[in-house]
Amino acid sequence: QQHTVQGTVNDQNGEPLPGVNITVKGTTRGTSTNSEGMYELTVPSASDTLVFSFIGFETQEIPIDGRNMIDVNLTPATLAGEEVVVVGYGTQQQEDLTGSISRIETEEITRQSSLTAMESLQGKITGVNVINNDAPGGTPTVILRGLGTALGGRNPLYIVDGVPVDDINNISPSDIESIDFLKDASAASIYGLRAANGVIIVTTKDGEGGAPQFEVSSSAGYTSVLNSVEMADQQEYITYFNEENAAIGGFQLAPSQQYNTDWYDELLETGYVIDSRASVSGGSENVNYFVSYNVNQEKGLLDEQTFWRQTLRNNNKYWLFNDVVEIDQNLSISVSRENPQPFSAFNTAYRQSPLVPTFYPNGRYGQPFVNETTGKMGYEGGEGEAIGRLNTHGNPLTAIAFNNQERNTVTLQGALSAKINFTDYLTFTSRLGGTKYYSDSRTFNPLKQGWIASDPTRTATQYETSKAENPGVTDWADNSLFVQNLERFRWNWDNFITFDKSFDRHNTELTLGMSSERIGVGSTFSGTAYDVPQQEQYWNLNLGSDDYEKQVNHTNFTPSTLASYFGRIQYNYDQRYYITGTLRRDGTSQFANTEDYWEFFPSVGLGWTLSNEDFMSDNEFIDFLKLRGSWGRLGNQNVPLNTTVIYTSTGSSSQNYVFGPAQTLRFGASVGSPARDISWEIVEEWNAGVDMEILDSRLSTSLDFYQKTTENVILLVNPLPDSPYAESFYDHGGEVVNQGVEVGLDWSNSISEELSYNVGVNFSYNQNEVTNVAAGYEGLTGGGLGNGQITKRLEEGQPLGAWWMYEAEGVWQTQEQIDNNPSLGGAMPGHLRYRDLNEDGVIDERDKRFFGSYVPNYNYGINIGLNYRQFDFSMDGFGVGGNKVYNGLNNTRFGGENTTRDMFEKRWTGEGSTNTHPGANRDARASSYYLEDGAYFRINNITLGYSLPEIIDRVSRVRFYVSAENPVLLTGYSGFTPELIGSDNGNPYGTAGIELSAYPNTRTLLFGINIDLK
Amino acid sequence: CGEDFLNVNSRERVAAVDQEEIYRPDEFVIGVYGNFTEWEYAFSWLGVTEIISDNADKGSSPSDTGTDKHLLDNLQFSSTAPSIQAMWTIWYKTIGRATNAIEYTESFGLSDEAYKNRLIGEARFLRALSYFYLVRYFGDVPLQQEDLTQRVPEEEVYEFIISDLESAIASLPLKSEYPTDELGRATRGAAQALLSKVYLERENWSEAVNYADQVINSGEYGLEPNYEEIWREHSENGIESIFEIQARGESTAHGVQQYSQTQGARGPSGWGWGFNTPTQDLVEAYDSEGDEIRKNATIIFAGETLWDGREVSENVENPRYNEKAYSSANAGAADSDKNIRVLRYAEVLLIKAEAANELGNTGAALDALNQVRERVELDPVTTSDQAQLRRAIWKERRLELAFEHDRWFDLLRTGQAGEVMRAHGKDFVDGKHELFPIPEEQLRQTPEMRQNPGY
Repeated sequence: QQHTVQGTVNDQNGEPLPGVNITVKGTTRGTSTNSEGMYELTVPSASDTLVFSFIGFETQEIPIDGRNMIDVNLTPATLAGEEVVVVGYGTQQQEDLTGSISRIETEEITRQSSLTAMESLQGKITGVNVINNDAPGGTPTVILRGLGTALGGRNPLYIVDGVPVDDINNISPSDIESIDFLKDASAASIYGLRAANGVIIVTTKDGEGGAPQFEVSSSAGYTSVLNSVEMADQQEYITYFNEENAAIGGFQLAPSQQYNTDWYDELLETGYVIDSRASVSGGSENVNYFVSYNVNQEKGLLDEQTFWRQTLRNNNKYWLFNDVVEIDQNLSISVSRENPQPFSAFNTAYRQSPLVPTFYPNGRYGQPFVNETTGKMGYEGGEGEAIGRLNTHGNPLTAIAFNNQERNTVTLQGALSAKINFTDYLTFTSRLGGTKYYSDSRTFNPLKQGWIASDPTRTATQYETSKAENPGVTDWADNSLFVQNLERFRWNWDNFITFDKSFDRHNTELTLGMSSERIGVGSTFSGTAYDVPQQEQYWNLNLGSDDYEKQVNHTNFTPSTLASYFGRIQYNYDQRYYITGTLRRDGTSQFANTEDYWEFFPSVGLGWTLSNEDFMSDNEFIDFLKLRGSWGRLGNQNVPLNTTVIYTSTGSSSQNYVFGPAQTLRFGASVGSPARDISWEIVEEWNAGVDMEILDSRLSTSLDFYQKTTENVILLVNPLPDSPYAESFYDHGGEVVNQGVEVGLDWSNSISEELSYNVGVNFSYNQNEVTNVAAGYEGLTGGGLGNGQITKRLEEGQPLGAWWMYEAEGVWQTQEQIDNNPSLGGAMPGHLRYRDLNEDGVIDERDKRFFGSYVPNYNYGINIGLNYRQFDFSMDGFGVGGNKVYNGLNNTRFGGENTTRDMFEKRWTGEGSTNTHPGANRDARASSYYLEDGAYFRINNITLGYSLPEIIDRVSRVRFYVSAENPVLLTGYSGFTPELIGSDNGNPYGTAGIELSAYPNTRTLLFGINIDLK
Repeated sequence: CGEDFLNVNSRERVAAVDQEEIYRPDEFVIGVYGNFTEWEYAFSWLGVTEIISDNADKGSSPSDTGTDKHLLDNLQFSSTAPSIQAMWTIWYKTIGRATNAIEYTESFGLSDEAYKNRLIGEARFLRALSYFYLVRYFGDVPLQQEDLTQRVPEEEVYEFIISDLESAIASLPLKSEYPTDELGRATRGAAQALLSKVYLERENWSEAVNYADQVINSGEYGLEPNYEEIWREHSENGIESIFEIQARGESTAHGVQQYSQTQGARGPSGWGWGFNTPTQDLVEAYDSEGDEIRKNATIIFAGETLWDGREVSENVENPRYNEKAYSSANAGAADSDKNIRVLRYAEVLLIKAEAANELGNTGAALDALNQVRERVELDPVTTSDQAQLRRAIWKERRLELAFEHDRWFDLLRTGQAGEVMRAHGKDFVDGKHELFPIPEEQLRQTPEMRQNPGY
């Protein structure tokens, strides 16, 4: 029988609340309050429970219990304060924190479609810098509070459901319940030995309990280049080429040519992303379950560049023996297949001339052959005519066409933990976690086809002749096949007890435990064979030809082990005065050389919640106010292994010498580099913060200052010229200081029952500086451009990975000017003119100077959400600034290459034309001309969704949405992307910040649907 | 869990304790010698010893600068000159290898004391030779064993060199005491000759004479009868040879990298890069002395037919090339069989002559000098005027030792550099060019280290 309930909903001050949602628990039946805060609802049964929910207020569940009149007072949700955060071996109320922890929940993570959760988080958390990589399967680089370490482990530590892992690429974002970022030392030191770069704790979803709930969603979209670069066309190229050759004395191109190829048009394809997921969750009295499946498919901008991943997850929770024992079991399986394509194709497409056809009419690949006598493109010439090349680059399409790589991976990850509740305040937890990773990959290289394709005059017969003349020489094999299998395993076992009790106003929590871990157990096997059959099905090493020696490699990895003891005490008096103390003692097998395994990592945090003081209780403006301060020490044990290198050789090398009249070669030896004893990198960090909520908690803000000093920074030391050693070696060589400010502001408001919105802005500033470099260890250089030029150097007082190069100060206008001023050797009119910084009349290395770093000084995010009736709208923006990026594509010319239309149009064309931009004939030295402002602002995501009004009983939600990812990029940078992580995972002395063969930023337009069933 | 859990066995690299291979001390000593076969001695070395002087021009084609050889030729180099940096670095690496070899040999536990001392003596000799190059070029330099960031006074560097050489003299065997198949190793005579040269540099005339006499009276050495044959393969480690860098041309060839190739004739009929070419000034110096034998043994002229029958075209790119670097069997090969003569008996005679003259012992000076002249059929010098004789000995050194990498040192040592180079049309700056700049690469990493004046 039907039952009617009515009543009024008020806020904490007794004011009526309009627009409060009231639903019958477990159904979709519901209503909302009118402008007087009143409601009336017919329910199926008088024993149902009503759920009152409203943005900014605590949700309340009230059993009807046969009543007809239920009035409710909702209490405001302290937006941050009431949340529970994961602190490592436990959880804590956010309002009780003394450290700096930021939390992100599932809605924020899944609002945009992404392969890994970190991608969606760019610009959403203060102090966390995410550098995205838009290639299929590409994973972003995450930096917490600045770069502290130059080598080895730069990545933060990830903990997934209590299990330490290297990354979270095997986890579907939709399976994640929350991510907590442990930013300061007080928060992170519970993970002492690997916490130096911050800790990221990922918690996956648990079963919700009750009847099964199904969620199904799917999205699909198209991907294209966000920020394309216009290249010069046929006529512009001819002009540019002829100007260049006129200056250096080469042949001229004829003005009319047959082809006008736009290489990016030819190379780039539209990519796509398809993502589908389904999950079911529910439970009964003793068991909760969550099962999910996700499949993600991506195709990139290049032909046959694909990535495909499936994940299957099952998280169960069991309560046994009257809830005395809780068992948590997580298991995930992730399978991926990847067909990468070389990014060098982007580089070649930038450089190759538009005069080169994709294919000649006879079907052969176009190449930059030119008849130097007639100035016409082509590889054939009449008698006495010279055939040459425009440049040294090939056809960008061949790199893609003859590349055939595939990698398959399987990751099994799981944890089993048992928690015993001895009393309501004393528990013991034991947790066993493990990750098994398999990968097999292969690369098939059709050597013969590649050789023939690189020159249209080459024939198969020529190749076969060379092959016959060079038996056993693998350079002339028809093809090569490389296969590699790799497996890795890691496990951890944690045991800890927690004591949590309040005595009057004294609230105490004590955690004591130990942990042991073994990482990197595994092996790799790889082999190469030649002349396997052409068809993919036969690509086995066994089917390789016996005419060529097969190569086989096998390595068992040296695993590392970690052992730790830890304790943490958290105490507060009356939720006003807080103190947290953590002590961890860590040991690692990394330091077996010195047998100095152990180190202590202490931290302490203090907090004062002013808003809980009596003198603040009358204050109506401030709802929550807390001051925090902390200090702690963290370690980084992921350091490179040093071994003494002794050189020997059986050939003509400088270790060897000859003696005697017979001049017999005698083999000698020399020490290449020493093994220095390397130990922990140690981070000391101070943090001070304020959390505040005002205006009925609609506005919440937090502010943090920190200073983080990394001591014992390990450097790859360039041996001094006057040192005994010839090779670089690792040693502790300096100190890096990161200091910064983080501010976050969140505003949320409900204007009426139909319209609510929230706006979040955040800003993080970080200053990075290398201090106290050990004597003789300055001068580490890096940032090689591949043409012998370097762009970076280590020096005290500069940021890590600081740019270092000549300063361009104009363009040489005349030969006379060059003759009468300091210039670099080979300077010509139209070349850039470099500043004689030390004014000694000579341009040399001593005139190079520092120009800041590629790492942004600040980044900021803006996040807007709006709900109106059935519509929801969100927009996320992200920006960085204070950094410089290097356009290596534009800089590193070898001659005869194409240029951008922009460079063409503003080029120097003769005396007086410009004193800023170089002419067609320019040098390829690294200089500030090619170093550009790396600031950008990008709209990461705009999503508009529409949820159908309830139609069918069993369908609780049907939502359609359209989403634009990266629709807008504002930047002054002239290349494809200012977001440049480089080829070796952000190594500050690698190619980070340099565009040479970077994958462009892409934009994606997505359509999606969410369906929730019950 | 404790240390056992953390002490993980290495699987990827064989740990030192498990390495079956134990290096013999001699292998590290061979490694010290080996460093003299590096590329630096085949190219940079030419620039800083001969091209920079009045003996040689850069050579090659005008557009091929050899990175900085044109700057050395014109005395326009700065602290970033790669040739200077390369030599600074290779000498210190050699010193490092020698020190390691000495320490390794000392602690290895060799039972044959004489053998152990000999190995240590060889390494000390090579270390002293490298420091001697450094101190003459750069003045105060760091003593690697002490501190890599501080230069110590020249005086201390010389003390170190002298102590190394005295110790080497005490422990090294005579040339004739080595087994034949060990010929080429540092000998007592080599250490004595080098020490004599060190004392000459220090203007310690009596000690210079003393050590030169020890070589001369050892009975181990003499003059090769024909001057031009000193650089032939058959005279390697011969009667006149005191110390030379060894090379072999047969596969596996192992020479001083491309020493012969970099200096080989360039262009039609040529076999090399054509660097380090004799100047017209050097030709005139021979001509004014009527010294045909040494001129023809030292210089390959365009259009000439060489002693082994090789015809050099008129059309080679440069008019003259260095004949002392020419290898008949391996002319343009990357590794040639050319042994580089570092110290030979004729130079010891000239050291003796110069020091004796300074001591006023004209008779001994003339005797030594005229032994050298007699071989090349020049009239004996007879002057008894000390200043004239000094000039004559200096001139003799130039003609006798041209292209043996000693000219620049001689010009600096004798104080003639400014006068000679300016007359040669090069802008020698007094107070600056007596020393090379400390290389930029070094200063960049050790900014507290002083630069030499003028750079």
